[in-house]
Amino acid sequence: MLNFAFALPAIAAIAVWRMPSDRLSSIRLLALGSVLASLVCCVLAGIHTTGALAAAALSALALLALAGLPKREWRSAPVAGMLMVVSGTIAAYASSSLTAFCAAWAVTAAPLLLGWFGAGGRTRIFTAANLALLLAAAMLEPAPAAFPLMVAAALIRAGVFPFQFWIASAFEQTSPACFNLFANGHMGALLLARFGLKLFPAESAASMGMISSLVLVTAVYAALVAQAERSTRRLLALLAVSQASFILAGLESRTAEGLTGAALHALVVAAATTGLTLAYAHIEARCPQAANPDGYLGLASRMPRIAVLFTICGLALVGLPGTLGFVSEDLLFHGALEAHPAFGMALPVATALNAIAILRLVARLFLGRAHGAVPDVPDARMAERLALSCCVLVLVLGGLFPSIPIAVGRTAVHDEPAAIAAATR
Amino acid sequence: MPAFDPGALLAAIVSAPGALFLLLAGCWMLGWQPRERVVATLTGVTFLSMCLGIATLALLLGMEGRDSLPVDLGFWYTAGAYRFPLTLLADRLSMPMMALTAVLAGLVGSFSRRYMHRERGFFRFFLLLDLFAFGAMLAFSAGSLDLLIGGWELVGISSVLLIAFFQERQGPVRNAIRTFGYYRVADLGLLIGVIALHHAAGVTEYEKLFRGEWPHQSLGIAVGPATAIGLLLMMAACGKSAQVPFCSWLPRAMEGPTPSSAIFYGAISVHMGAYLLLRIQPVLASGWAAAATVVVGLLTAFLGTLSHRVSTDAKTSLAYASMTQLGIIFMEIGLGFDYLAMMHIVGHALVRTLQFLRAPSMLHDYHRMHAAAGGELAETGLHLERWIPRPVQMWLYRFGLERGFLDSIIERAVTGPVLRLSRALGALEQSRSAPAAARRPAVRASGEMAGGLDA
Repeated sequence: MLNFAFALPAIAAIAVWRMPSDRLSSIRLLALGSVLASLVCCVLAGIHTTGALAAAALSALALLALAGLPKREWRSAPVAGMLMVVSGTIAAYASSSLTAFCAAWAVTAAPLLLGWFGAGGRTRIFTAANLALLLAAAMLEPAPAAFPLMVAAALIRAGVFPFQFWIASAFEQTSPACFNLFANGHMGALLLARFGLKLFPAESAASMGMISSLVLVTAVYAALVAQAERSTRRLLALLAVSQASFILAGLESRTAEGLTGAALHALVVAAATTGLTLAYAHIEARCPQAANPDGYLGLASRMPRIAVLFTICGLALVGLPGTLGFVSEDLLFHGALEAHPAFGMALPVATALNAIAILRLVARLFLGRAHGAVPDVPDARMAERLALSCCVLVLVLGGLFPSIPIAVGRTAVHDEPAAIAAATR
Repeated sequence: MPAFDPGALLAAIVSAPGALFLLLAGCWMLGWQPRERVVATLTGVTFLSMCLGIATLALLLGMEGRDSLPVDLGFWYTAGAYRFPLTLLADRLSMPMMALTAVLAGLVGSFSRRYMHRERGFFRFFLLLDLFAFGAMLAFSAGSLDLLIGGWELVGISSVLLIAFFQERQGPVRNAIRTFGYYRVADLGLLIGVIALHHAAGVTEYEKLFRGEWPHQSLGIAVGPATAIGLLLMMAACGKSAQVPFCSWLPRAMEGPTPSSAIFYGAISVHMGAYLLLRIQPVLASGWAAAATVVVGLLTAFLGTLSHRVSTDAKTSLAYASMTQLGIIFMEIGLGFDYLAMMHIVGHALVRTLQFLRAPSMLHDYHRMHAAAGGELAETGLHLERWIPRPVQMWLYRFGLERGFLDSIIERAVTGPVLRLSRALGALEQSRSAPAAARRPAVRASGEMAGGLDA
């Protein structure tokens, strides 16, 4: 069943890519239909396994991202690229060998390399370098020299310090909604957790301290840079990088709280950043000044529902009580502080800085008096409202009833920590 | 035998404003905004029910001769050995605070029905008032520090959103962000302190953490950890209760509507820090944090009274007066006068709420009083002015006017360096990421290009 789950979007991607961009209805039908079918296949495969659960979550995310995409982004190349990312990521979740994983990684990187997302030169260079490192690691494996190459590939993909800048650049150049889907595959974390630990247990145990430190530095560094960032796209990217690094920090903590928190936080980051990037895509489509506002745009009076949904997604990302972000961060903080009492404090500090950055962004976009030059734009349409509301519902319902996502994801928690515990014994 | 379960009654009282918030928010999201009368009536009924419920609960506990009512609702979630307890507690400390919240929030709601009539943000105001009430009830009735954090954060976010209520002006928006910054930094103490307490004592539920009933409780952890934890929690309490050095946000918070200033900064939100310290009194008493509380309270009271005397508008003057009284409350807590602090909180909240609600009519009252007296009344007091030398008076005046120079100290020592570092790192990031031609220039809200970063 999982084979169908990644094959369907891949076939649809090829079909969409070959279609002219003006055939909007056909592109929409193919794209949404294939992702929906992929989601059904993942569910039928049984979400009690790690791969199927993560694949189902990604398919659902992709469905929301596609359903809520602004009209101007419904062109054959970016949509085909999103379908390829979905296909490659599901294949990666289902893969049990490093070779298959590398192939899946290459499929997800293809849209960036081919320029389907509109990526600039440096983004393509980093994507290519990233892929080359992983391929080299796969060829050298099982030699110990493969491990540092694998770690480098994972850290670059995840945007861990000092490789965080290419993520912000990619957000700036490409469509944020498209790139966000690419980033939410969390392929870097998956590579380390699934293959790094199993193939190189001794090297993994030795390097965990270094990786933990880099991840904690990333969380604080990105949050710090975000404080004075004026570009909305770069700010969203920095927030995503900072909060996503918490996932790795939770995995590296090797505690039950940290691992559970990491799994939940992956869902939080995915849902919240999807909501933020979708909402922002609609805002930018209506009001180009939102890309780099100098002053307050006052858009809340024009688009109140987008403003509220954007704010909830942003605050959920930084742990607003009543949302799943509060639960995941509570678990992560406990896990991180237990594993690293001194360095673990970086996570609450990063969260506090990110919260200030989010509120500053909300204020700049939505508060203040709407200037005359800001167009009289409509609020969220039904499709947009539906997609954004789904993201918010996941965050809020998950926060009110967290035992459900914890129970559903319990297998995801138990598969990886067994490997981690065995590797570090 | 009571006709209904006191535990269920307590849970219903706490969740009532939250349920109303979700109901109203859900209606709005679905495209239907209720009329003013409907919103105000629903809010009024909810708060009245809460008041009656609290009175009933107090009566039930009194009839049973119980000092406290712990309500165990199980665990919100578990992960490995970690469990997040969902426990409520009604005791001699939480019941007065809950009653105060229900009564004053209800009064402010009733006042706002007319005061905010035909205000564009009427619905938004009541939504945030309900969210605040839920957060406050949750924080006061929480049976563990973990659950208290949830209510604490909700009160903070609703406070900030109400400061930015008049969002068409830049001043309220800037001040809201600044206040949020103070809250987030101070709340680090709460987060880290609770986690540290978890590690030191193994639990954060009051019933398991402390021996005995409030205020005669004790705690069995060493002096070192108790001092560290006490100082961290005190940091959070200072942020919420506008104590030195986290006091600069309080006058800025006066940008919000007068009813919200009354309920937040006169009554409930601003006393939450003092409530936290009263709740963790055994932790304070076990280490040196109690002495620090006294010192902080003294400094705040001194700064507050000076700033209050030189303020030029009613609400700012009242804000600093609140700060002064809170400083004294902190001193009372640090010295171990728990009941006195509790009574001080209740009395202060009631008086200050009245003063805030009357502030818009204060000038009318002033003129009416003078007219009734047949002209200008003679100035009274001036005792301090007779005793203190003129140069010292001028220095104190300048000190009060500059709010203790705290703003400039924090700007120079904290926010300035952080923002400079952030800008430098941001410039480094941008030089490494994309060529200059590919970067989008800043665009003003007017549509013109902008150059450089503003302050």
